[in-house]
Amino acid sequence: MSLIKLTGLEKIYQQGKIEVPALRGIDMEIESGEFTTIFGPSGSGKTTLLNMIGCLDKSTAGEIIFDGHSINDLDNKELAEVRRYNLGFVFQSYNLIPVLTAFENVEFAIRLIDKHSKKERKDKVMSLLEEVGLGDMAHRRPNELSGGQKQRVAIARALIKEPKLVLADEPTANLDSETSQEVLELMKEMNEELNTTFIFSTHDPQVMDYARRLIEIKDGKISKDQRRD
Amino acid sequence: MKFLISIAFKNMFRNKLRTVVSILAIAFAVMVIVFTRGLIDGMIEDTYSLYIHYDTGHIKIIDQEYEQKEKLLSLNYTVNGLENKSLSEMESDLSDLDGIEMVVPRLKFGAAVSTEEELVQMLAWGVDGKKELKFTNIGRELSRGRMVESGKREVVMGTALLDKINKTVGEKVTMVYTTAFSSFQGATFEIVGEIKSNLPLLNEQVVFMPIDTARQLLYLNDESTELLLVTADRDQVNNYLPAVRNYLDQNGGERYLAQSWRSGNTFIQLLEVSEKIYNFIYLFLVLLSSIVVINTLVMIVKERTQEIGMMSALGLKSREILELFLLEGSAMAVIGSFLGALGGGLINYYLSGVGFDYSAAFEDIDVLMNPIIYPTFKIEHMIFAFVIGVVVTTLTAIIPARRAAKLEPTEALREI
Repeated sequence: MSLIKLTGLEKIYQQGKIEVPALRGIDMEIESGEFTTIFGPSGSGKTTLLNMIGCLDKSTAGEIIFDGHSINDLDNKELAEVRRYNLGFVFQSYNLIPVLTAFENVEFAIRLIDKHSKKERKDKVMSLLEEVGLGDMAHRRPNELSGGQKQRVAIARALIKEPKLVLADEPTANLDSETSQEVLELMKEMNEELNTTFIFSTHDPQVMDYARRLIEIKDGKISKDQRRD
Repeated sequence: MKFLISIAFKNMFRNKLRTVVSILAIAFAVMVIVFTRGLIDGMIEDTYSLYIHYDTGHIKIIDQEYEQKEKLLSLNYTVNGLENKSLSEMESDLSDLDGIEMVVPRLKFGAAVSTEEELVQMLAWGVDGKKELKFTNIGRELSRGRMVESGKREVVMGTALLDKINKTVGEKVTMVYTTAFSSFQGATFEIVGEIKSNLPLLNEQVVFMPIDTARQLLYLNDESTELLLVTADRDQVNNYLPAVRNYLDQNGGERYLAQSWRSGNTFIQLLEVSEKIYNFIYLFLVLLSSIVVINTLVMIVKERTQEIGMMSALGLKSREILELFLLEGSAMAVIGSFLGALGGGLINYYLSGVGFDYSAAFEDIDVLMNPIIYPTFKIEHMIFAFVIGVVVTTLTAIIPARRAAKLEPTEALREI
């Protein structure tokens, strides 16, 4: 069974009296454990598609099946529940909470689920921070970390609740190529180790090199869908 | 919820100066409330007790006609007993009524003392010295000598009045007055006491003499111009008043007026209304200060829009985002209100000892008011101001917090 199945997905934005179509009928299936990159020129609809898959926005038409359940009819509260338990996000600008340490930023995501004891939480967060290579920086605040380190914290935050899917919107856009490679390696490792599904949106050829599936979007439609072995 | 509280608290330190300004605005408003309440309370308490002691008692019995002529110090409308009862019997019956602890008679009339330069006019009060000492605070105000004693031809007067007539305690003074039969007469008294009071009435106007001496001089046998009833509890006076009125009606005393201290005096009524008005002013004051908090939170929401988007993406619900910002506003409200209540309390504690000199403002105003006001220090004022500060500020913080909660995650994430 596919983790995500999109059928005839459309999204139209209303700008005053003008309707701006962002997605014009997307059909796509993503299996569990895939490492997929969505690419395309600016304004092609990559981020909109990612937002739809990430339950952050609602479609104008079409259907989204996530893990066997249609999410079209869910209200905002129910969508927040889906995000809370099943999805992880990595953002271009990291979006860490500046007043929290690396440890607390990662812990933040797991505290929302609220099914672990304090000790379990601590062990889990520390072990994941070790895994992303930040074990000794757990108590540093974001302003004491480099861009790459921040993105590692963000990845740990996305993975801590063991989500079915991690969505990464231009995760390397603010990083130099060496750090980008480190971050991508890390995500690939996590993908292989935990079988977590990753979907990226990017312009970055380096990211595309890592992907096992490349989906190109042009003018709100899929123009190319290529799998690599 | 616990971790939201922890984040909200940590968020307060992101822009320390802004947080401090917001907290100070609340603290200032709350401090002003504590101080104003203490000041007004002190003023009202003091005024109430002055009016009760020197004007109204808890219940005042006078002749209905006397109410109109009181200013003229008329001796034609006295309280002189009932149909079949003398004034002494009436006093005794009244003091037996439930809740009445004491009956204080006063006989007020005009008198004057002639010095070499001028004729000094004064208010002569025939009083029962022992009862006055028990009922009023005159004992504390006596700086020299003693209070007047029954059966003696003696007076007690204020320092300013003594200065005006160039006399001192131990000397004799001759006073002129008009009797109940409108004859002009004079008598000599020994000055046995001096009152040193901030109150102009006691300092400059009143001369106390024994009531029996006054009656004898004025040819008013067993009569008073007023009877002041002292009850067990001044705030329960309306419970005691019906029995007094009933007693007067049943004994042919329909011509007498029995008034509660609250209803008998327009100044007291004015103070009571102003007390209520002040409560609205306090609310307005906190609302003003909470604008600073609203402004701070609006700026915070704007600055943290992307962060709100991230939180939303992580699965935080709108209600939790609202709580997060509300907690931040509330934390400022709690700290500011606590500091303000503490500051206001300390100011009142200090001023309740040294007082606040208003004498210049009261120079030409004819109200019974102590020119030095002592604000009251009461924990309840601090609690009242703290609660009003926290509640009003938290409620107003809902406005920006709702704005944060309503942000669409995709729009919030797009914000740079």
